[in-house]
Amino acid sequence: MNSTIIKLAAQALLGRRRFWLLLAFPVLLIALTVTVAALTDAEAAWPLLPGLGYPVVLPLVAVLAASSVLGPEVDDGSIVYLLSKPVSRHSVALSKWVVAWAATMLAGALPLYVSALVAGGGDRALAAGLAAVVAGTTYSALFLAVSAVTRHAVIVSLLFVLIWEGLLGNLLSGVAWLSVAQWGLRIGHEISTELPDPTNLPWAIAASLVVTVGGVWFAGDRLRSFTLRGED
Amino acid sequence: MADRAGVIHDLGYRHYDGPRDGVATIARTLFVTGLRHAFGLGRSGKSKILPFLLLGLSTLPAAIVVGVVTLVGLSDLPLTYAGYTNQTQLLVSLFAAAQAPVLFSRDLRYRSIVLYLARPLPAYVVALTRWASLTTALLVFTVLPVLVLYAGGLLAGLDVSDQTTDLLKAVALLLLVSSMLAGITGFISSVSLRRGFAVVGSIVALVVVPGVVTAVQAIASEEGAEQVGVAAGLASPWSLTNGLASAWDAGVEVFTPPEGGWVVAYLAVAVLIAGVGLAAIVARFLKVGSQ
Amino acid sequence: MSGPESTLVLESVSRWFGNVVAVNDVSLTIGPGVTGLLGPNGAGKTTLMAMMTGFLAPSAGTVTLDGEPVWRHTEAYRRIGLVPERELSFGYLTGRQFVRANADLHRLPDASAATERILGVVDMVEPAGRRMDTYSKGMRQRIKIAAALVHDPAVLMLDEPFNGVDPRQRMHLMDLLRRLGDEGRTVLFSSHILEEVERLARHIEVVVSGRHAASGDFGAIRRLMTDRPVKYAITSSDDRALAALLIAQPSVRAVRLRPDGGLDVQVDDLGSFAVGLPRWARTADLSLYDLSPSDESLESVFAYLVAR
Repeated sequence: MNSTIIKLAAQALLGRRRFWLLLAFPVLLIALTVTVAALTDAEAAWPLLPGLGYPVVLPLVAVLAASSVLGPEVDDGSIVYLLSKPVSRHSVALSKWVVAWAATMLAGALPLYVSALVAGGGDRALAAGLAAVVAGTTYSALFLAVSAVTRHAVIVSLLFVLIWEGLLGNLLSGVAWLSVAQWGLRIGHEISTELPDPTNLPWAIAASLVVTVGGVWFAGDRLRSFTLRGED
Repeated sequence: MADRAGVIHDLGYRHYDGPRDGVATIARTLFVTGLRHAFGLGRSGKSKILPFLLLGLSTLPAAIVVGVVTLVGLSDLPLTYAGYTNQTQLLVSLFAAAQAPVLFSRDLRYRSIVLYLARPLPAYVVALTRWASLTTALLVFTVLPVLVLYAGGLLAGLDVSDQTTDLLKAVALLLLVSSMLAGITGFISSVSLRRGFAVVGSIVALVVVPGVVTAVQAIASEEGAEQVGVAAGLASPWSLTNGLASAWDAGVEVFTPPEGGWVVAYLAVAVLIAGVGLAAIVARFLKVGSQ
Repeated sequence: MSGPESTLVLESVSRWFGNVVAVNDVSLTIGPGVTGLLGPNGAGKTTLMAMMTGFLAPSAGTVTLDGEPVWRHTEAYRRIGLVPERELSFGYLTGRQFVRANADLHRLPDASAATERILGVVDMVEPAGRRMDTYSKGMRQRIKIAAALVHDPAVLMLDEPFNGVDPRQRMHLMDLLRRLGDEGRTVLFSSHILEEVERLARHIEVVVSGRHAASGDFGAIRRLMTDRPVKYAITSSDDRALAALLIAQPSVRAVRLRPDGGLDVQVDDLGSFAVGLPRWARTADLSLYDLSPSDESLESVFAYLVAR
């Protein structure tokens, strides 16, 4: 890890318009939960989490954070300023991931947990929070790897979340085995059985770990082969 | 060197006195190019992948339904035309979010907009043309699977007049939703010139906000506060469309269907969203074009 | 400069993209001093620069800095300062913050002092507190050079450093690069503008269509090409009489009267022309006022190489 790269990436994330977009998600989620809970009762607000917060807001925050720390710099080539330094490329990727991960936790997992507390709290809220931490961690690494491969990282990541995990995941139960969201839910299921039990626990833990470590390593490996090209 | 006055040398270029194409022809050419580009036609092989993948995904179920209807010999389609688009709205939203930057961001980002404006084409015409391209692309995207269903239904011997009425309702709704989506994503893409952020912004408007509205409607319906749910439906393009579809009896179920005056309000707001989106795009092009 | 001198060596380097050969079997050695990498747009300069800076793997051959490969060898950047052509997307940082970040990335023991020192070298102390998106093109180039030099590298590589820089700033940059070369650094810059290279680098490497077309002092390269006609501009007491006299000589291929006075002479056989000209003038009782080669410029070398 490299503190300078972390600092630069954090500055890039915080200092611009994208920060407001990133901030809009938690504000929206918490405001909605609080409003619904206040107008009706806490129990009625709970479906917002499995329906909106967990499957949509959390991955979107991860997509935005992961693609923000790497995407624009790869896109316009200014990443060469970071790469033309005696710093291992894996360390560059790891540092970038730390920032994306922190942003996903703060703007995704934490608000989800807060919303869960508003919507009744208890074991269920803790379980949802844990699921969000696990899935958010895995998402941020996966999307970082995608950002290191293609310029269309945002679209590809969204396809994965909305089409693969969302649309197909609802139709075909087997998709759960290859779904970051479902792994997180399975791990959260250990705390509260109100969360679903889509796969088995060892698989969920192993798959989350492999994708997280593999994603960051892969992003670093792609950076090792980073190629400077002319305008295209 | 007595004569210091300027002179234009005759280099032998011949003057063209014949007829010239007017603004209408230029705009039409731009419109067709934009429409093709929305599907990646005339662009690199890679840019065709996403639009056609999404188009394939949204048409495939229609083909399967037609196959089932034909083989099993059902007397009716299992879902209506408007209901079909309701099921694939995520794919439509993704298509709009992904392809709007193609039409709206690039000219502004790389400032090639000035090249268009160097032609006898006012900035607002360029903006209108772009919007028309995206609206048409979205209409093609949504109508195609519906037509597959329709053709399959007729081939399977379903009642022609019933099916045609249903189809016309669906097409009217699709035209409305296409112009709304084009207005929204077009405006977002012309403001946020970085492709990634334009896409996320559009997804927020077309997926997250409708998701929120649906959640609110579900809760309102459960709590017996129907009016709240109906009012919330005004907040997103998809809830407006689905609300109208339900009111027009086009086969879409919503938690809180609008009735009476609300139907007029839904239609008015839908037209307003499309109009405001278009006006905002035009304003944006005028501003950037004059810089 | 504190460290030892460094040499960049390319051995039989080729690079192809699918069916397109961008760089074709180039071998060259770049040592201390200022070297210009010259070639028209699309000649393979950017590809070559990318390989020399470790941002592209050669398809064949090796690129080494003091014997070590550059590709996938991040430690090599301790000795390399790189000024990419790409614009900075760090406009929200001040010049000082940006240079300081580069110093930190190199883990310099006294990053702050190194930053201030290098800001002084490129004459950017005064605007260093401003955000970089307020800088002019020339200032951005200088801050990029400062960032590349902050760790005192032996090799400085610049991709098209003068593009879009106004003439006064260009002079300033050239002085800076010349000074760095005189200090014993290996300074390599690419350009497609002959006038820039000619004014800054005596040593040039020319690439044309991906091939290494020429190498060395540009005057020497020019003289090596004896098989091509040489042009002279001559002014004399009677240009028309001299023109008549010259065109009769077998060593002269063409004579042209210049509209503003004087002659343009194209010479095939330089040796006999040089010996003959004073004699012919004397016998015809003509005075020669001025004789100068009219194309001892990089432009002509270049045009010749491209056309060959």
